[in-house]
Amino acid sequence: MAIAETGQSSAASPLVTQLHGWVTTVDHKRIGILYILMSLFFLVVGGVEALLIRLQLWVPNNTLIGPDTFNQLFTMHGTTMIFFVVMPMLSGFANYLVPLMIGCRDVAFPRLNALGFWLALFGGCILYTSYFTGDALYGLGSAPDVGWFAYAPLTSPAYARGGSVDYWILGTLVSGVGTLTFAVNLIATILTMRAPGMKLNQVPLFVWMMLVDAGLIIVAFPPLTAAQIMLLLDRYAGAHFFDTQAGGSAILWQHLFWFFGHPEVYIMALPAFGIISEIVPVFSRKVIFGYASMAAATAAIGFISLGVWAHHMFTVGLDDRLDAFFSAASFLIAVPTGIKIFNWTATLYGGRLQLRTPMLFALGFLGMFLIGGLTGIMLATVPVDWQVSDSYFLVAHFHYVLFGGSLFALMGGCYYWFPKATGKMLSETLGAWHFWLLFVGFNLLFGPMHIAGIMGMPRRVYTYEAGQGWDFWNQLSTIGAFIMGIGFLIFFINLVLSLRSGQKAGDDPWDAWTLEWATSSPPASYNFEQIPTVRSRRPLWDLKHPEDPDWKYE
Amino acid sequence: MSDLSANPDPPPHDEAIAMPRPTAWPMVLASGVGLMAIGIPTNLIFSIVGLGIVFTALFGWFGQLLTDEAEVEEPLVAPERRARPIRPSHKRVLSPTPGQRLELPEKVHPYSAGVKGGLAGGAVMAIVATLYGLFSGRGLWYPINLLAAMILPHFADDTAVELSQFSLTALLVGVVLHTVTSLLVGLFFGVLLPTLPSSPVFWGGVVGPLLWSAGIYSFMGVLNPVMSDYVSWPWFIASQFAFGIVMGLVVVRSEKISALRLSPTSEEEPHDANS
Repeated sequence: MAIAETGQSSAASPLVTQLHGWVTTVDHKRIGILYILMSLFFLVVGGVEALLIRLQLWVPNNTLIGPDTFNQLFTMHGTTMIFFVVMPMLSGFANYLVPLMIGCRDVAFPRLNALGFWLALFGGCILYTSYFTGDALYGLGSAPDVGWFAYAPLTSPAYARGGSVDYWILGTLVSGVGTLTFAVNLIATILTMRAPGMKLNQVPLFVWMMLVDAGLIIVAFPPLTAAQIMLLLDRYAGAHFFDTQAGGSAILWQHLFWFFGHPEVYIMALPAFGIISEIVPVFSRKVIFGYASMAAATAAIGFISLGVWAHHMFTVGLDDRLDAFFSAASFLIAVPTGIKIFNWTATLYGGRLQLRTPMLFALGFLGMFLIGGLTGIMLATVPVDWQVSDSYFLVAHFHYVLFGGSLFALMGGCYYWFPKATGKMLSETLGAWHFWLLFVGFNLLFGPMHIAGIMGMPRRVYTYEAGQGWDFWNQLSTIGAFIMGIGFLIFFINLVLSLRSGQKAGDDPWDAWTLEWATSSPPASYNFEQIPTVRSRRPLWDLKHPEDPDWKYE
Repeated sequence: MSDLSANPDPPPHDEAIAMPRPTAWPMVLASGVGLMAIGIPTNLIFSIVGLGIVFTALFGWFGQLLTDEAEVEEPLVAPERRARPIRPSHKRVLSPTPGQRLELPEKVHPYSAGVKGGLAGGAVMAIVATLYGLFSGRGLWYPINLLAAMILPHFADDTAVELSQFSLTALLVGVVLHTVTSLLVGLFFGVLLPTLPSSPVFWGGVVGPLLWSAGIYSFMGVLNPVMSDYVSWPWFIASQFAFGIVMGLVVVRSEKISALRLSPTSEEEPHDANS
């Protein structure tokens, strides 16, 4: 494989050479972009699935989509959004940014990094292969239809005939292995490759949060992988891990899945926290409030999040003492999360706010994530959970956390770092349209779900009877979904237009302070001609304000 | 990057930097893994082919690492495509605000004040609780047993009369629980009080006990069902106020120390500062 594509001369290369360069790249920036492109592709796929779900629920007794197809749609939507949209996007941001932020040339294991991306991509392909092979080979099923957490015994051969569940298991398993390689790489990079002088307490908060995030991945993903292999053994080798009739335990799957599943929420949220911690100070023209407490709160969230998984299982009928413990632990996690909210608010306070598009998304994140957090505290209360579990209230809650939280922040990150990655600015006008349509559409879509849920509408029903008071709220939600769809359409138009004819960004369009803004836009493959030496948390501030550098105070 | 503080290593003279060589082996390896997986629900032939691809890819990958092909010399980009030097900014610098070289409050109570306050408040609270036991006619050990019931489940089956009997285990558990909780609450208030406006005694002696009592009232059924059944709420709230007032007074009477860090740590310029 004497391939020597340098990645620098691709601008004038023929298409095949360019594609070859992308396929063989081990450059962390290109791999980051590949992750983000993969995420955006699956965002469209998962978004279309969501629109179909909302169309079906537009009116009572709708027959647009049958129950089996509906089951497949919500399964694929959930699985896609979590494993193949948010995860690759956060991996993409981390891949692109962490080496630049800590002042090194690449990640610790560049080839392993490439392997991680391709495993993630092929995992997604395996999942969607189910649509094309399930029927053909077995005449049964098609896409998996067991929900994104695939509870036993629904996944047993008796209930899930055909291969659809296998594609769910294998697709997420393969991508999960890719995620593990990403985490190993990230930890090694952050711990061993920081620029000279950059202590661990001086790395940007995004890096801090990705370090904890990678640690969580290392702890949380292997139990899922193990559980998936056990499930495969159940399905293919006659094992009975989750078969209650043969001495197995269906609850064991829930424990193993949620031991992964709840940290996974924070695995998806921490990068968002990191992005917000970079955007808010720059657009408030202030240093982040409480760097140390932010880092400590991140570590606390990482630790506590490993001990709250059974709050997803309050309705299973566990021992009351277990319920009380997991309820208390879930309350406890509100403390470090609250510290972060207070710190971001304190950073905004007294700042010279610049309401550019990244900041709009950051502020949107703050409001939406707060609502998601508050409903999370409600759901951590056992009796409340018993009342609204598996209702649309729950669906509203986790979308406020994962969409209003993670995805709003990731969108803000796109606007913030797009100039660095491409050398072009995204249009502020289209960006504002994108934000407001997304903000209005999001609240119109998921806000009413709280009410529908409290009124008793269960999640995952493919239709409902008229006269239960749910019609209006469902119609509002469907309208909101399409407004959001228009918002995303504008985002994609903005990406294409700005790439083709966007305003030139320059090296440091936001007058920011972290190291990635010290190199060219886009950066050369080696990032920096000379590896910088760092003396404070804001190395560019030190250079821009030599009369008042941060290093004198840290 | 020429203006950013550079590390002591000399800049590259040959205008090229060694970087990992692009390679397709990771993609090939991943495709092998994917084929192996696809073979499980479809046909094992796919898995066998996938395994072959995996081994081929590993062989190619490791082989590349063992030769000079592992790295490639990347020429530096043309000077016009490099980053512009970072110049000193003429933009106005915001005066320090909270969080930026300015810590609020300026003066705080030492941690020891919170600890002392918590222990003193806890002692007074214990006296009030003991008085309740005596005045209610249920005896000295009754309030201690109620507290220990949070940890000792066998008290759940006891009657009020049995709860009045002495139990060494309950005494030890109750004392430890009470001491630790008092100490932690005192520490918490000791840290928090200087950040609150107006009178610390008001926050410690009025607001704190009210919030604490309301919280306990809400959770008592879960935390300690036995106490929830037998507790006298007027006495309970009175003991909370006794704790809060004494703790607040002890904390307030302690001498504050400075938490201000406005002055720079060093005026010395770094050796490798801006070129």
